[in-house]
Parts: sequence; C-alpha cells; structure tokens
Amino acid sequence: MILETNRLEYLYSSGQTIRFPDLKIRVGDRVLVTGRSGCGKTTFLNLIAGVLKIQKGEIDLIGNRFSSLRPTSLDQIRADHIGYVFQTLNLIPFLSVLENVRLGIQFSHQRTSKAPEIEPEISRILSALGLPKNILNRQISNLSIGQQQRVACARALLGKPELFLADEPTSSLDPKSTTEFVQELINTFDPSKQAILIVSHDPSMVPFFNTVIELDN
Amino acid sequence: MRSRALPLALVTFTLMASMVLVLSIDRIQKATEAGFSQSVSGVDLIIGPKSGSIEMVLYTVFHLGQPINNVTMKTMNEIESSPDIDWLVPIALGDSHKGFRVVATNLPDYFEHMRYGGDLPILFAEGDASSKISAAIVGSTAAEKLGYKVGAELFITHGSGNAIEKSHDDFAFQISGVLAQTGTPIDQAIFVNLRGYELVHLGWQSGTKVFGVNNVNIESLPDHALDPKTVTAAFVGLKSKFKIFPFIREINKFPTEPISAIIPGVALAELWSIVGLVESAFNLLSWMIILICLIAIVTLTIASLDSRKREMTILRANGASLFYLARLVIFESLVIGLTAVSGAVLFVTIATSFAEHQLSSMLGIKLQTSFLSLDELIVFGIILGAGLLSSLIPAAFVYRRNLHQGLS
Repeated sequence: MILETNRLEYLYSSGQTIRFPDLKIRVGDRVLVTGRSGCGKTTFLNLIAGVLKIQKGEIDLIGNRFSSLRPTSLDQIRADHIGYVFQTLNLIPFLSVLENVRLGIQFSHQRTSKAPEIEPEISRILSALGLPKNILNRQISNLSIGQQQRVACARALLGKPELFLADEPTSSLDPKSTTEFVQELINTFDPSKQAILIVSHDPSMVPFFNTVIELDN
Repeated sequence: MRSRALPLALVTFTLMASMVLVLSIDRIQKATEAGFSQSVSGVDLIIGPKSGSIEMVLYTVFHLGQPINNVTMKTMNEIESSPDIDWLVPIALGDSHKGFRVVATNLPDYFEHMRYGGDLPILFAEGDASSKISAAIVGSTAAEKLGYKVGAELFITHGSGNAIEKSHDDFAFQISGVLAQTGTPIDQAIFVNLRGYELVHLGWQSGTKVFGVNNVNIESLPDHALDPKTVTAAFVGLKSKFKIFPFIREINKFPTEPISAIIPGVALAELWSIVGLVESAFNLLSWMIILICLIAIVTLTIASLDSRKREMTILRANGASLFYLARLVIFESLVIGLTAVSGAVLFVTIATSFAEHQLSSMLGIKLQTSFLSLDELIVFGIILGAGLLSSLIPAAFVYRRNLHQGLS
C-alpha cells in the first residue's frame, strides 16, 4: 500500500467543511479525482501531498502517519516519496530546464539513488514526455505553457517517487495535446513501483485511469 | 542570485558606497586627530612663562592669543647649557605683518629641528633659511595671499594690529625663502631672524617707538647689542626621552624665574579633547551612514521578499530543509556583504594612496594606509550581521506559514 486516507475533513476559513472519501492507492494504480470547480479537489491533493496541514482524519503514506509528523519531516517525506505537479507548476523561471527538473531529487537521497546518472535520466524522461533534446539548457521563461507542464511532470517523475500527484496538468492544453500528454505520462511512469493520482475536471481523461473518484459535496 | 543580478549589484554598490563613506570618515577623523596632535613634532618640550599648557600651546603652536609674560634670555641660556638639552630654539611672538603673525626665531635652526605631521621636515618651496639678520621666511598661505616671492621686502608691525604708527618701517626684512604647504599654522606664519626682531625693537619702550633705527649702523653695534633680552618661549629637544619628566619638574621649580614646561603632544591632546565636539560630530555622521546602510539592506530584503518567498517555497515543496534555505540566504548576503566590504577597503586604500600627498600638503592630514582597524571591523561586523539577520526574514516567512499559501 502506498497511500491510505481515513476520514479526512477540511474546514475552510469561510466555514465550509468538506469530507473527503477514504482512498487506498496501491503500486500500479492510476487514480483520477474529478468534480466540479470548488469541490475541494486541490485541497484533497494538497492534504495528500502534506502541503496542507491535516485538521481531521489521517493520511498514511508508506507507513508514515502525517498527523504525527513535524512540518520538516513532512517536507522530507514528500521529497522522498511524492512527485507533485502543482496547478501553477511552480517552476523557478530563471533556472534552466535541467536545473528545474533536478530540483525533484536534489533534497532526497532516496530519489537521487534511483537516478544514478542524472542527466541521461532527465533527458530520457523529457523525451518520453515529448520534449526535444535541445531543451535541457533553455530557461523556463522561454518555454510554452505546454512545455512547462511537461517539465513540471519530469521533475515529479525523476527519481521514481512512489506517488505521482498532478493537479489539473492539462488545464491549458487542447483536447489532442491532452490525450497525447496523458498517454506520454502513463508510458513514462513505472507501474511496478509507482502509482498515479491526478486531479482534473476534464472528462476526456477518464479512459486512461483504472479508478475514478468523483468529489461531490 | 543571477536572476536578481541587477538589484543585487545595485545593493552591493550602495552598501559599498556607504562603507566607503564610513571608512573615509573614520580615517579622516583619525588622521585629523593625528594631524592635529602632530601640528608640531620633533619637539620634546615647550618652555615658556608659567601658564596653563593649553594656553601655551595655543600661542606657541597655533599663534593664537598673546603670551602674558616673557622669559629672559638669561634663563633660556641657562636651560640650554643643561647637559640634558640636545637643542633649544627660542621664539619671540607679538608682532605681525598684514594680519599674519610674526615668529622671530633662530634661523635656520628652527627649520632644522621642527617637524610636523609625524616626522615630516618643513620644506622650502623657494629659497632657503638664511642666517642674515634681515632674513624672513614666509609660510605658504601667507606668501600666496600676499603675493610674496624670494627677494621681496616686508616691514613688520608692532602687535597684531595694522596701525601705521605701530609699524617697524625703519627696518625691512628680506624674504629668503617661501615654505612649502604643511597644513599646519606654519603656513600662516612669517618667520624672521630673532636678532633682526631685536633690532627693530631697539628704539621701542613700553610699546611705543622712542627712536627709529634708520640711522643706526648695524655694523657699529656691539655683538651683544642685538642679543634678545627676552623671548616668548622655546622649543626644546632633549638628548633622552626618559629625561622628559624629571626635566619638567626641574623647570617648574626653576629658582630665578616662574617658568613652566609642557609636552606639546599631551597639550595638543588636551586641546583636542576640548575640540572633541568635532569628533562627536564625526561619530554621529558615521552612525547615521551605518543606519542608512542597514535601512538599504532591509529595504532590499523587503523589496525582494515576494520573489524570494516564492522561490524558497518551491524549494521547500521539493524538500529543501530550513537549514538549506537559511544557508542559501546567508551565503547570498555574505557574498554581498563581503564584496561590499572588500570593494570599499580596496577603493579607500587606492584612493588613500592617490590622495595622500594632496591631503598631506593641503590639510596637513596624513592618512594611515592601514588595512582595517578594530573599530572598522566592528562596524563592518554590525553591518554584515544586520544583513544576515534581515536576509533570514524570507526564509522565516516560508517556514512560518502554510506551504500551500506560497504555492498557489
């Protein structure tokens, strides 16, 4: 078992409370969380990534119970086991593609050990995601949004973290590119060691996943 | 760092400029004090009529005010014959020339023994110190303002006024030398031969001219006729510095005449402590600049806070520890701080070596070409420390708030 959530609830400052369904993710799973805007998809993902502090309920990620971890330990757990593609991508604009992707394993010995030759590995992931080879040394600010999304995915996939999380990774892609992108992503991830959890409101993605959870409060 | 190369370069430059100011002020302050206390050097003691040391240093060194009394030459000769004395140069003050004070002394002995600004000899820009009875030597400022050159003649005036009836217009001194600039009161003085000074006072009694010396045949005068009877004070060099204090005690207890001896350096330091307001102003200025430096650092930190917070939040989201983030900002502000410090030290050192000669000759200020003093190190330490602390602000922000706030 990679991830298990139990009775997660989140109280917003507006006073609205969202109860999330219990989730169990095993190696090889491809899970899609859908739902209309504002139903708490991103909050759910942020809780699972340890980016938001859990208020009620529990998350267990490969034996680590989030409620008992200090923020710094949680940061380390995230660095070691989770590759997260934020909705806003969160790439550092003045760094090159190579440097941004390398950030994915820079703070994790565990993930570094899974990518002994960093540069060839980064090249491999980038080309598997459909990016040209000469992109490595280009600055992020010079890339299109679609290319930036792929770079963010490459950063999350590098070092084979057990759980790959992505928040609306295809939000700015057209339907054709979306299909290509998801196909590339699924081809790149290793189903014998990893699992995928993606949040999206795009119904065209449903066929690529073996579990679909619809959030509806 | 390279993403913010321009703002960082600007803040480094601002810091460097502030530090250059702090360093320059500190050095000029120290050099001014040193220059002041070395307005006269090479002199172990000044001997004059019994009076306070500040008063004596004011009229003998700065040519300000009037001596209350004179000392007889007999006493001076007696002192000069003491085995501890290496040299003794008497001076007589009281007269002036067109607003510049006249110092009557033994020429050329005065210029052989007197020093300024540490151990700098008094140099001649033109001519030399003649031993002729009519010899006059003009300080650089006096020569420039009065347009005097070697060979020009001048009449001195009794007292410090310009009254015609007080003029010693019966005997002309001839300029044998013009001094180079020293930045000390020497520049404003006119030196004349002591015997010549005695000559112009031959016909005077109680400040009034009784007869002129126009018709006096100097050659026919007996040798001792022009020996001064009294002088104002004397600069003294001792054979051994260890004798200074016993010698002062001896002078202060001089049996036949009430006289006293002062150490010029000590008296000048006392005088400086009175003029200490200048020093406080310097210090205040330095601290104000340091304050501006600190404001500049904090302003940059706050201005770059947003972009830094985002960058750091992304790093944290990827697992960077607090220690890593702190190390990152500390390294950055250390690079800025140390670049600014070394740039400032380098600039001031180079500027000092270029300006040394000009400052020394124009203001008598001798800048120390020292690397960094303890005071300066402390000031730089404070600036660097404040820079480091303020640079930790964004890192602390990132850790205090929820990670998602910085990422959305």
